[in-house]
Amino acid sequence: MIEQGKIAPYQFTILVILFTVGSTILIIPSGLAFEAKHDAWISSLIGPAVGLIFVALYHLLGQRYPALTFVEIVMHTLGKWIGGAISLLYVFFFFILGALVLRNLGDFMTTQVLPNTPIQYIHILFVLVVISGVRNGLEVFTRTAEIFLPWVILFFLFLIVLLPYQFKLDNLLPVVGYGIAPVARAALPYIGSPYAELITLLVLYPYVSNNRKAGKAFAIGVLIAGFILFLIVMTTILVLGPKITAVQMFPSYILAKKISVGHFLERVEVIMAGIWFITIYFKLTICYYASTVSLAHVFKLKECRQLYLPLGFSLIVLSIISYPNTTYFFHIVTRIWSFYSLTFGVLLPLIILGLSLMRRQGAGSS
Amino acid sequence: MNRYLLLICLALISVVLSGCWDSNELNDLAVSVGMGLDKKGNKVQVSTQIVNPSEVATKRGGGYSAPVTTFTATERTTLEALRKITSVSPRKVFSSHLRILVIGEALARNGVAEVMDSISRNHELRSDFYIIVPKGTTAKSVLSILNPIEKIPSNKMFSSLEVSEGTWAPAAKVELFEFMADLSDPSKENILTGIRIAGDASAGNKLSNVEQIVPSAILQYSGIAVFKGDRLVDWLNQDESKGYNYIVGNVKNSIGHIRCPDGNGVLTVDVTRTISKIKGILSNGKPKIKINLFIEENVAGVQCQIDLTKPETIREIEDLSNQKLTTMMESAIRKAQRNKADIFGFGQAIENAHPRQWQKLKNDWPDRFSDLDVDINVDTRIRRLGTTSNSAIESWE
Repeated sequence: MIEQGKIAPYQFTILVILFTVGSTILIIPSGLAFEAKHDAWISSLIGPAVGLIFVALYHLLGQRYPALTFVEIVMHTLGKWIGGAISLLYVFFFFILGALVLRNLGDFMTTQVLPNTPIQYIHILFVLVVISGVRNGLEVFTRTAEIFLPWVILFFLFLIVLLPYQFKLDNLLPVVGYGIAPVARAALPYIGSPYAELITLLVLYPYVSNNRKAGKAFAIGVLIAGFILFLIVMTTILVLGPKITAVQMFPSYILAKKISVGHFLERVEVIMAGIWFITIYFKLTICYYASTVSLAHVFKLKECRQLYLPLGFSLIVLSIISYPNTTYFFHIVTRIWSFYSLTFGVLLPLIILGLSLMRRQGAGSS
Repeated sequence: MNRYLLLICLALISVVLSGCWDSNELNDLAVSVGMGLDKKGNKVQVSTQIVNPSEVATKRGGGYSAPVTTFTATERTTLEALRKITSVSPRKVFSSHLRILVIGEALARNGVAEVMDSISRNHELRSDFYIIVPKGTTAKSVLSILNPIEKIPSNKMFSSLEVSEGTWAPAAKVELFEFMADLSDPSKENILTGIRIAGDASAGNKLSNVEQIVPSAILQYSGIAVFKGDRLVDWLNQDESKGYNYIVGNVKNSIGHIRCPDGNGVLTVDVTRTISKIKGILSNGKPKIKINLFIEENVAGVQCQIDLTKPETIREIEDLSNQKLTTMMESAIRKAQRNKADIFGFGQAIENAHPRQWQKLKNDWPDRFSDLDVDINVDTRIRRLGTTSNSAIESWE
């Protein structure tokens, strides 16, 4: 194994929370409100519920091969050549996910905060921090996550607590007025991102010190993150209403703009943006880490330090060329991404697990 | 040793990096507090009211030039015109501190969809300003009136609207998001509060306007503009505006009068609390609206020959108040129905109660709205009589 570090189950929970909240917190209310309108909050509850099923699947897989890394599991069950090819596809999946997350942040910054700054420079600066995080290893960036999570929670509470007097309960009416179909339709992209992307965290699974407790830690993380995302969706709908929410690019930022306590405490939205700066950083770091480590495993490299810089540069380039404009991005998110992430997050793991069960492998057989 | 060298290098790099693309120095910006949009042929005329910092910031002195300057530019689209203002303004216009957006009546009658879209797309504009329509004048002239007490006219318009919405029923503040949400919604049409220039408009843009005790020209909120889609179609007068605000539950505090029971003179009442509920009903597939208004009042002035110490008198006043409020609300509804513009959100009320049937109703909602049955039920409670009991007038007789 390339990675020598170990993380405790509760640290794993923290990584799960930050990964799941990730860039989703910035954009999810509009996607849900677009389809489910008043009932976006119901859709936001379906996400984590399905997410828990995925977690159960990943846990089963991780438990069968406690000593193997993700790539080794894939190679072990599918053979050297097919397994290697699938593993490479996984590396691409983690890598593309990272590029999209990075571009999310860049788009947000150039649209709302720094409109005249070239997006490349925002990406370069952000990726430099990510590389330095990954270079220091899993243990170090996990401890960093531990330090930053309280700030995320603090800012988040701040955001939620300052808004209730702007709540309009009418915005929730009519409840499930148009049937369950739009609610379910809205939930599909939400399941695709971030819950099907949780497969990325399976790469960290062998490094959790207590393998038995890892599943529980995983589930708790998904539940907490699901609750945070539910709160942000609920608050956005209550304050902005479904119509305004649906047309916003970054509804959570607009929500933060609405904070105004007695014309005194206002214009704090950039501080609030700290929430997704931190969560996006960790999601990106985990994606980047997963792709470099997996790549090194596929090619059986002794260490992956030499991969960090070149892959980081590729990440910047990929994030810029991945889509030409915002409309294209929406097309990817609503029409394509869910199927892509569900293929890698659900279909392939199911096949791998099925094969492994048929051959009665695992559970120490390595 | 190497570590320290690295640290020093990093510190030096940060000095260079901080000179970023998006730095905006305060003294390079023209802070715009009011924006006006008018129609000029098929072009848009944008007027921005810019704060004159040296006039506003000084503790003493000042008074040599106006506290604000209004620049205008005309172009095919709003943002082009806004950018063109740089050709007359010495600094870049900065709109994040906008307080008020004035949409000229001619433009409003022609449709505001284009201008509102560019405004909501712009990242620099926040959503915490109010939108108003000048009645019988242009946005440019509204932004060219100087006001006493509050140096910056846009701030005056902003706070005047807040205060008068809180204490005087006929005004309604509308923010960008509400307006945008209703713009696309067939179940609710928009309204905006009107503003007019009282007095001599041409004298209003000189400093001398605020040097007098009674200013020659002053800005006054008056009436509510009714929109249908993105076009202004009609105005509500003062009573209808009050009626509108009672229906939608906008009234926090207001003063009104009712005719005395014997028909001579009037009785002033101070409204202290109102709760309004709009309910959508479907009876045999036919939509109906029920409005329940609960209102608490204090007696504030009496010109009548009545005995306020008797409980029957109070009940009588309550009945009169109910009638008066019902007429006001009905007149507002009639005017809206004449214009087929559902400004009260009756459609929303029906959607909330019967979402599935609404899908069928919504297509010809304007027509259905125009002959909709509205059942108004007012429940007035007189609570207090002010600091005196019976009127002095009564005891003279």
